[in-house]
Amino acid sequence: MSRLVNKFALPLSRRAVLRGAGCTVALPFLESLHALADTPPAAAFPKRFGVVFLGCGINEDHWRAEGQGADMKLSKTLSPLEPIKQKINVIDGLYVHALTGQGIHPGQTGSLLSGAHISKGAIIHSGISVDQMIASRVGEETPQSSIVLACDQPMTGYHESNFSLAYSSHLSWQSPESPVPIEVYPSLAWDYLFDNRGSVQNLSILDRVKDRARDLSKSISSTDKGKLDEYLTSVREVERRVESMRKDKVNADDAAKERNALAVAMMDRPANGLPEDLREHSRMMCDIIALAFQTNKTRVASFIISHDLSALYYPFLNVKDGHHSASHNNNSDDYERIARFHVEQYAYLALKLDSMKEGNGTVLDNSCLMFLSNMWIGRKHDNFRLPVVLAGGLGGTLETGRTLNYLKESEDNRKMCSLYLSLLDRYGVKQDQFGDSSTRLKGL
Amino acid sequence: MKFRPFLLGFLFSGQYIVAGGTPPHKVDQQFDKTVKPFVSKYCVGCHSGKNAPAQFDLKSYSNVDMVRDDFARWALLSERLQNQEMPPKPMPAPPAAEVQQIVDWVKAVRADEIRRTDGDPGVVLTRRLSKAEYDYTIRDLTGQDMKVAKEFPVDPANEAGFANSGESLTMSPVLLNKYLKAAREVANHAVLKPDGIDFAAFPMKVETDREKYAIKRILSFYSAQPTDFADYFEAAWRYRYRTSLKKPNTTLTATSVNAKLSPKYLAMVWDILHDKDAAGPVLKLQKMFLALPDPKTSVKMSDVSGDCAAMRDFVVKIRTHTAMQFATPHVEGLPGQSEPLQNYKLQEFSEHRRESDPKDLRNDNDPPLVLPEIPAYPPLHQDAAPRWAALSAKARAEDVDLIVPHGERARYEAAFSRLAAVFPDGFYVTERGRYFPDDSTDKGRFLSAGYHNAMGYFRDDLALQQLILDDSGKKELDRLWNEFDYVADYTAHTWEQFYFNQSGEAFGRGTESGSPRPTDHALTDTEVISKMRDAYLAKATASPKNDPAAVEGIRTHFDGVNATLRSLEKQRMAAEPKQLEALVSFAAKAYRRPLTPAERKDLLAYYHHVRTQNQLSAEDAMREAIASVLMEPDFLYRLDSAEGFVASSSKPNFVRVSIATPSKPLSSYALASRLSYFLWASMPDEELLRHAKLNDLQQPAVLLAQTKRMMKDQRARGLATEFTGHWLNFSLFETNNSVDRMRFPQFTDELREAMFEEPIRFVENIIQGNLSALDLLYGNYTFVNPPLAKHYGIPNTDDGTNRWVRVDNAGQYGRGGLLPMAVFMTQNSPGLRTSPVKRGNWVVQKVLGIRVPPPPPVVPELPSDESKSELPVRAMLAKHREVPFCASCHERFDSFGLAYEGYGPVGDVRSTDLAGRPVDTAVVYPGGVKGAGFEGLRSFIKDHRQDHFIDNLCRKMLSYSLSRSLQLSDEGLIDVMKTNLAANGNRFDSMIETVVLSPQFRNKRTAPPQQQQPTTQVASRKVDEHVTTRQ
Repeated sequence: MSRLVNKFALPLSRRAVLRGAGCTVALPFLESLHALADTPPAAAFPKRFGVVFLGCGINEDHWRAEGQGADMKLSKTLSPLEPIKQKINVIDGLYVHALTGQGIHPGQTGSLLSGAHISKGAIIHSGISVDQMIASRVGEETPQSSIVLACDQPMTGYHESNFSLAYSSHLSWQSPESPVPIEVYPSLAWDYLFDNRGSVQNLSILDRVKDRARDLSKSISSTDKGKLDEYLTSVREVERRVESMRKDKVNADDAAKERNALAVAMMDRPANGLPEDLREHSRMMCDIIALAFQTNKTRVASFIISHDLSALYYPFLNVKDGHHSASHNNNSDDYERIARFHVEQYAYLALKLDSMKEGNGTVLDNSCLMFLSNMWIGRKHDNFRLPVVLAGGLGGTLETGRTLNYLKESEDNRKMCSLYLSLLDRYGVKQDQFGDSSTRLKGL
Repeated sequence: MKFRPFLLGFLFSGQYIVAGGTPPHKVDQQFDKTVKPFVSKYCVGCHSGKNAPAQFDLKSYSNVDMVRDDFARWALLSERLQNQEMPPKPMPAPPAAEVQQIVDWVKAVRADEIRRTDGDPGVVLTRRLSKAEYDYTIRDLTGQDMKVAKEFPVDPANEAGFANSGESLTMSPVLLNKYLKAAREVANHAVLKPDGIDFAAFPMKVETDREKYAIKRILSFYSAQPTDFADYFEAAWRYRYRTSLKKPNTTLTATSVNAKLSPKYLAMVWDILHDKDAAGPVLKLQKMFLALPDPKTSVKMSDVSGDCAAMRDFVVKIRTHTAMQFATPHVEGLPGQSEPLQNYKLQEFSEHRRESDPKDLRNDNDPPLVLPEIPAYPPLHQDAAPRWAALSAKARAEDVDLIVPHGERARYEAAFSRLAAVFPDGFYVTERGRYFPDDSTDKGRFLSAGYHNAMGYFRDDLALQQLILDDSGKKELDRLWNEFDYVADYTAHTWEQFYFNQSGEAFGRGTESGSPRPTDHALTDTEVISKMRDAYLAKATASPKNDPAAVEGIRTHFDGVNATLRSLEKQRMAAEPKQLEALVSFAAKAYRRPLTPAERKDLLAYYHHVRTQNQLSAEDAMREAIASVLMEPDFLYRLDSAEGFVASSSKPNFVRVSIATPSKPLSSYALASRLSYFLWASMPDEELLRHAKLNDLQQPAVLLAQTKRMMKDQRARGLATEFTGHWLNFSLFETNNSVDRMRFPQFTDELREAMFEEPIRFVENIIQGNLSALDLLYGNYTFVNPPLAKHYGIPNTDDGTNRWVRVDNAGQYGRGGLLPMAVFMTQNSPGLRTSPVKRGNWVVQKVLGIRVPPPPPVVPELPSDESKSELPVRAMLAKHREVPFCASCHERFDSFGLAYEGYGPVGDVRSTDLAGRPVDTAVVYPGGVKGAGFEGLRSFIKDHRQDHFIDNLCRKMLSYSLSRSLQLSDEGLIDVMKTNLAANGNRFDSMIETVVLSPQFRNKRTAPPQQQQPTTQVASRKVDEHVTTRQ
C-alpha cells in the first residue's frame, strides 16, 4: 500500500540527519527574545488549551471524585491524577444537547466540541470546534495555530445511522464542512511543528518562480520589465520574510544548545512509521504536545487516543475485545482498565507540563487541559452526562482542586457549551453564543 | 515599488521624437503664436499653480506634445470655451473670433495627431490578472469554480474605470502571499488519477473527501443510465406503430437511439414482447402491450405512458416476488456478518439478479399458504437473511400471478426464467444497510457494503453491464470503480479496519476485536493477507457443520483484496509518467501557450526535486508542482505583449494601416489571450488555442468567426460582468452599499444579489443575442427573479425554482433598460435619503460620458436622513443652485437626478419621500427642455444626448478591450466604431468586431513608446472619484 509506504519508507533527508546529530529543539517561550532577561510577569505567558479524548465512555462504577483540594478523593479510574489533584477540576453532569437523541456513536460525537447540529448523509456539516475557535485567536502568534493528533487512524464511510464516520474520528473542525486533518504519525507531527515544513515548501516555490521571472526579464521589452520587477521584488520580499522566520528558529535552537538549557524537554525526532505499541505511541504524542506548548510552537492541541467506535486493541491490558466491543460491557474490569489507561496518558501529559517551569509556576498553570469522552455509559450509549476533567489554572483565571457536580441542575444550567463559553472568555474570545448555549457555566 | 517604465519611457521619449521625425508643424507655430497668449490672457489668472481649479494648471503646458498627452482636458477646455462657460462670469468674455481660433486649433491638434498615429497599438503594459480574471481563469483551467480569489484585495481601476490594465494592477508582497495561499488551495483540489489529474469541486483535505468525490461520480453514472422498463415499453410501442407515427422506415435501433435508450436492451425487450411461446407473466405482459392503443386514432401520450408504467410496475412486482435470496454461509465460531462471509452473500446477489426462484411459484392445487412469522431484526453481527426471507414470503403471499395452473409447471418456470433473464430484480445497488437487502432501515450509505461499524464498499452492477451498457459504457464504469479505489484507497482502508477491528474473530477473541499491529508497511503485504486468509480457512474447515461455500467465499475475498492492492500498487507505479504528462498539459493551459522544451524539463525537474529532496509523496509533490505553476509569472501575468519568450513564427498576413509608431502583429497565442480576456475575462479555450497553434487567428475571417462564437458562449458573461460593473461603477455593490437594513428590511441578501445580477443579465442578453446597444437605454424589458420582482411590484414570477425571467413591457412597472435599475438607484443613495446629485452625476458622467469638473474642497452637506429634514431634497438643491458658483456645475446634472425622485433610496417606486411629502419629478434639463420622471429622462437622452451615450460606450469598450487608457491615436477608431454601429442598427457585435479587427487590437508596439505621464493619470483618476463620492 503505497499510501503508507510513501510516508516512511524513504531514506532520511539531509535535514533529518542533521537533526539527529543536533538532537534537540527550540527554546521555551520568550527565551529566544529575552534570553538574558529576568523572569517575565505571569501575565506575559501564553494560555494553552488541550483536549485529550477517550471514545465510548468510562466505567461508571469507578469514575467518581469527592471533596476539594488536598482532601479530594479520587476513585480507581481517576487515581492516576492523584499527584496533581490540587490542579484539576473533576466536572460531572454536563452534556451537549445537539448530540442527544441523534442515534448512536457518530451522532454522539460529531460536534462534541462545538455543540452544533450535525447533518446526516453525504454532506458533512458540523460546527467550528472550541479548540479551533481558540486557535483562530491565539494561533496567529505561533508557527502552527494548532496540532490535531491521534493514535487511532480516522475512519471513513458511513455508520448505519447514516452519519459519516468522519464524525466519529474528528473532534477538531476548522469549518463546519471540514475537520482538521489528523496526524497519527509521531514523526510527521514532529516535522509539522519543528521542521517548518510549510516554509521549506514555500521557499522552494518562491525560488523557482524567482528564477523564472529573472529569465523572463532578460527576454522581454523594457516597458514590461518594470512590471516584472515589481513581481520579482514582491517574490524576494516574501522569500526574505520566510527566510528570516526560519533563521529565527535556527538561532533559537543554537542558543538553546549553547546554554544547554535544561528547562527544555529533550526529544529526538521520533522514528518514521507507527509505533507498534499503543503505550509508546501515546507517550510520544504527549511528549510532542508538551514540547510544543513549552516552546510555543503552538498553543492549542487536541489528541484522540481512541476515537469513537475505536478499533484499538489492548493486549497489554489483557483485554480480549477491541475498544468499542469492550465498551458495550463498560462496567467490566476490562473496560475500567481501558479507561484508566487513557486517564494515565492524560495524567502523564499534565504532569509533564507541570514539570516545565514557567515564571513562578509551570506550563500547566498557564494551560487548560481537558479530558473528555463522548459518552458516560457505553453499554447504553448514554451521553446525557459526560465525564470531564480540567487540569491547569489557565494563568490564574481558573480555580482548581474542585469537584463540580451539575447533575441536579436544570438542563439549561449544565451545558458543555456553557463551559466552552466560560473557557473562551478566558482566552479572550468573546462570544455571545456558542453551540446551544448563550450563558456561562455557573460556578466554574 | 518604483515605477520603472516611467523612467525608461522618459529616457526614450526623446529618442522617439527623433526616430519619428515629426517636422515642425503649423499647430506648433500656432501654439506659440495664438494659444499661449490667449491662455495667459484669459485663463492662467485662475488656472495655474498647485491649487488650480479643477487641478488644471494651464501654465504648465509648454509645448504641443504636452497638450497631446493630456488631450482630453484640452478637448474639455475647447468645449467649455465654446459653450461660453469659461471664463466664468463675471470675468470678461473673450471675443468670439479668438475663441474660435482656439477651438479650431484644438481640432487641428486632434486631426493632426490622428493622421500621424492612427492605429497605434499604444503601450499595453504587461500586467497581472485582475481578481475577477484570476477566478474565471482558475474556473476554466480546472473545471471547478472555486472562487479562491475572494480574499484578494480589491483591484484599483485605471483612468477609464477598469481594473484590467497594467496602469493600475500592481503587485505587492501582501498580494503575493495571497497568491501563494490561493495556489495551494487550488492544488488541494487536485485529484491524482491513473491517467492524469482532475480537480474536485471541494478540497481533498481528509480521506472522506476522496470517497465523496469518487462515489459521486459513480452514482451519477448509474442514475444517468436508461433503466426504466416503462421507457422501453413505450419505445417498443412507438416501433410497433411506426407507420401510424409516420416513421414507416425507422428501425428498432433508431427508435432506441431517438429515445436515448440502450439499443441492445430494447431489442431484448422487443423479443420478449413477441415471444411465441409465452406463458404466465410473459403472456400477461404481452397482452398489456397489445392493449396499448394504435396512434392512428387520436391518442393521449399520457395514457400510453401511464399504461407503460403499469407494465413496468407489473414486471417489478413479479421480479421482486421471485428474486433469488442468499444468506451468509454458516461457519461455527464466526459471526454471521463476518466480512468475508458477508461479501460472499453480496456477490451471490449480484450474480443472480437475472434468475427467478422457482420455489416462489405456487401450484393452484397447493394447500393454502401459512404465513410466516416475521422475526425481529437480528442482534449485532448476525445475518438478517431469515428475516428477509419471511418478509418476502409474506409480501408474495397474495400474488395470484405466481400461481401455476395444473400441468403447466414446466412452461411457467421457463416463462418466469425468461422474464427474469430480461428483467433483473435490480440493475445496480446504490446503498446498503446492515440488514441488506431489507432496506427499510439504515439507508443512505452510498455504495456501502453494509458492514456494522466498519467501512466497506461493494460493487453490484452486473445486470447493468450485461443488459444496458455497451462496451464503452462498461469500460467507463470499470474505470470509475477503479478510480474510486485509486483515489480513495478504500480497499486498503477497509482492510486496515478489518485487520484491527474485526479479524480477532478468527482467533476466538470475539467480534470487533483485532490483531496486533504489524509494522504498518507490512499490513497490506501479500504475506499478511494470506496468513489471515488461512486463519479464516482453518476456521471454515474446522467443523463438518460449516457451509462448504464459506471456503470459496473466504478465498475469493482475501485473494480479491490482495489482487486489488497489488494492482493498485502497479497502477501507482505506472501512473506517474502519465500524471507528469498531465502536469505539463496543465502548465501549458495555465500559461495559455505550449511550453518550450526547456520549460518542460524545468517543471519536471522541480517535481522530482520536491519528490526526492523534500521527500514528498507523489500526490504532495504534484500539489507542489501545481502550486508552483500557479505562482509563475506566465500564469499570473498577461505576458501577451512581452517579447521573445515564445518564438513567434507568425508573419503579418493582412495589410496594416500605416502607423507612425513601429509595431508588429501579436503572435497567435498572444492574440488568443487578448481575445479571450476581452470577451470572457478568462483564458482561451481549446478551440481558440487550436487556432493559435494553426497560426491563423490573424486572418480576419477566422478572428471574426471566433469572436462571434465567443460572444454566444456563456463565458461572455465575463464581459457583461467586468465591463458593465466597472463602466457603470457597481462592481463593488455586493460588499459596499450603505443601505440601513433596519429602515429598509426589504433589502435582504437575496434582493441585494438580485439587484447586482439584473444589469449583468441584461447586458449578457444583449451580447449573446447581438441586440441593439440602444436597448441599454430604451429596452422596454428587463430580467427579474422572484425577490426582485417583488421589489418591483411585478406579479409573481415564482414557479418554485427561483429562476430569472424576462419581463416585457416593463415600463408599466417603471422599469426597462439600465437607467431605472434598482442597483443604480441604491448605489447612488447615501442610506436614508436619495441623492439627486449622485444619481444625476452617475447618468451624466458614467452613462453619457460627459465630463463634469470636480467639486470644490468644501461643499455643504445635505442632511443625512430624508425623513428628518425640513425641506425635500429637491428644494434644498434648488437653494444650493442659487449660488452662481455652485450652479455652474449643478445645472449640468441635478435635473438628471431629480427626475429619479420617483425612486426611493433602495430603488423602490414611490410617490412620497421618507418624510411623507409627495415627490416632484418635473425638471428642466440643460438647454431648457422640460421633462418629468424617468420617462422624461429617457426622452431627453433620446432627443439630445444619444450621441454622447454611443460615444461613451465606444470609448469605454475600446479602453476595456485594449487594457489601457485611450490616447489620441484611438480617435479614428472611435469614429469607425460609431459609424459601424450606426450602419448596423447599433447591433452590439458591430462595435465588438470593429474593435477586434482594429490594428490597435491585433498589433503591439515594438519600440519603447512615447511615455504617457503616469502621474497625470493618477491625478485625473482622483478627480473622477471625487466627483462620484462627494455630494
